[in-house]
Amino acid sequence: MAHGLTRMLDVKGLSYAYAGAVAVSDVSLTVGPGEIVALLGANGAGKSTTVRMIAGAMTPQGGTIRFGGRDVTRAECHEMVPLGVALCPEGRLIMPQMTVMENLLMGAYTQRDLAKRQETLAEMFAFFPRLAERREQLGGLMSGGEQQMLAIARALMSRPGLLILDEPSLGLAPKLVAELFQLLRKVNEAGTAILLVEQNARQALRISHRAYVLEKGRTVRSDLSSNLIDDDSIRSAFLGV
Amino acid sequence: MTLQTLVDGLVLGGLFSLAAVGFSLLFGVLGVVNLAHGAFVLIGGYAAWTLLDRFGIDPLLALPLIMLGMFCLGYAFQRTVIQWATKRASLLASMLLTFGFALMIRNALVLVYSPDFKSVTPSYAFDSLSFGEVTVGLTRVAALLVSVVLLALLAAMLRFTSLGRTIRATAQQEQAAALCGVNIRHVFALTAGVSAAFAGAAGVAIGLVMPFSPPDETLWTINAFVVVTLGGIGSPAGALVGGLILGVINTMTAELVGAAFPNAMMFLLLVLMLVVRPAGLLGNSFKGSR
Repeated sequence: MAHGLTRMLDVKGLSYAYAGAVAVSDVSLTVGPGEIVALLGANGAGKSTTVRMIAGAMTPQGGTIRFGGRDVTRAECHEMVPLGVALCPEGRLIMPQMTVMENLLMGAYTQRDLAKRQETLAEMFAFFPRLAERREQLGGLMSGGEQQMLAIARALMSRPGLLILDEPSLGLAPKLVAELFQLLRKVNEAGTAILLVEQNARQALRISHRAYVLEKGRTVRSDLSSNLIDDDSIRSAFLGV
Repeated sequence: MTLQTLVDGLVLGGLFSLAAVGFSLLFGVLGVVNLAHGAFVLIGGYAAWTLLDRFGIDPLLALPLIMLGMFCLGYAFQRTVIQWATKRASLLASMLLTFGFALMIRNALVLVYSPDFKSVTPSYAFDSLSFGEVTVGLTRVAALLVSVVLLALLAAMLRFTSLGRTIRATAQQEQAAALCGVNIRHVFALTAGVSAAFAGAAGVAIGLVMPFSPPDETLWTINAFVVVTLGGIGSPAGALVGGLILGVINTMTAELVGAAFPNAMMFLLLVLMLVVRPAGLLGNSFKGSR
């Protein structure tokens, strides 16, 4: 894939500290169009903070974020979504008292063209037949796996150029995890670049083109996933030792 | 006799509902307890009084205008005062600040309108409708209609429109709504605008039915609290149920127990409700209840 040649997302020297506790101190990464890039690291390595800053849910305290050639370092979510960046958050965050359909429509919040919205909705239902069956069910009453599908579909409803997923496999049964990664590959083949945060490193490396390893808030390694997958030394990063 | 009391109670209850629904919405969506809500109600009442007294505009015609003005006030109030307080300090700080604003509005109203009672009396104020032995003043009928129609409109707006969906989504899962591209600050301010618009409308309806004076703001804020506790947070239906029950209990107590007891009964009910079903009869419409 065209890694490094064209940079859709270009993050340099990002830093963030929560009330003095440093979460991210120096993270740099790029994602090119059509790529799947994995962001790996142990619990507390700063992965979630990094992607939340990229999506505009948090403002970086240092460093720069560029997307599509534009400086978006201080942009907020409601500015990032129309630019084509969607974050599917950790823990899914489904609106519990709203139906599947309403959750999906919220995903298309920035899409004012109703015909396009309907078209995307039809695509999502074709992609996730389970959601089509359950469109009138309340989000809070769905199983964990279904909620994860819904969260991904909701993020895709804005037709992002870059889909960021934060721990999508968390809490899913192994069979569902395999299904999920299949699905992400399909989403990617349809033209969406993916930045994937995962603790499940093996699976993530299997579907991604490139990967970054975070340790204590820094990017300590970046390489092709095919090189990393057989590398014993990266295991230490995930174990945090 | 008792039927008349029941009808009077329903009219009063409609006013309680309308005066409480904005308070309830703001509380449900933002978690903000707006102690200036009762003062907003009174601003609506005084606006109706001014428009009728000075310009001869019928209160029912003035209603949309007053709601629009109050919407703008509510939007601005949220984007400045409440937002600053919640962002820099806490929800508790916003409560203290709105309390301060209630006092300021109350005193400003005294300065402008004097502490005397005012009432909004259009030409038809002394006409009434009779159904058998029950007699209802025309303005009371109008007030009840305004309450019920506006509550129904609000319910429909929340349920079926895109703005309503956005408000519900933001109330249930603020972070996810933001990630969908919702400008949370804007939606919060729109919600506060709707809340204030309904407070203003309640003020107009109240002015039609009973005299009011600046210190009443406390009463309407407290009533809103009781209605919300009774009916459940966030929904127009909860406000309607809570308000109507409260209104009927109010007039029934005055009639059957004594004129000094409605407030005592109201708070007895509040305490009972908090013990038995703290989420209110219809529960919290945004968070789901157990």
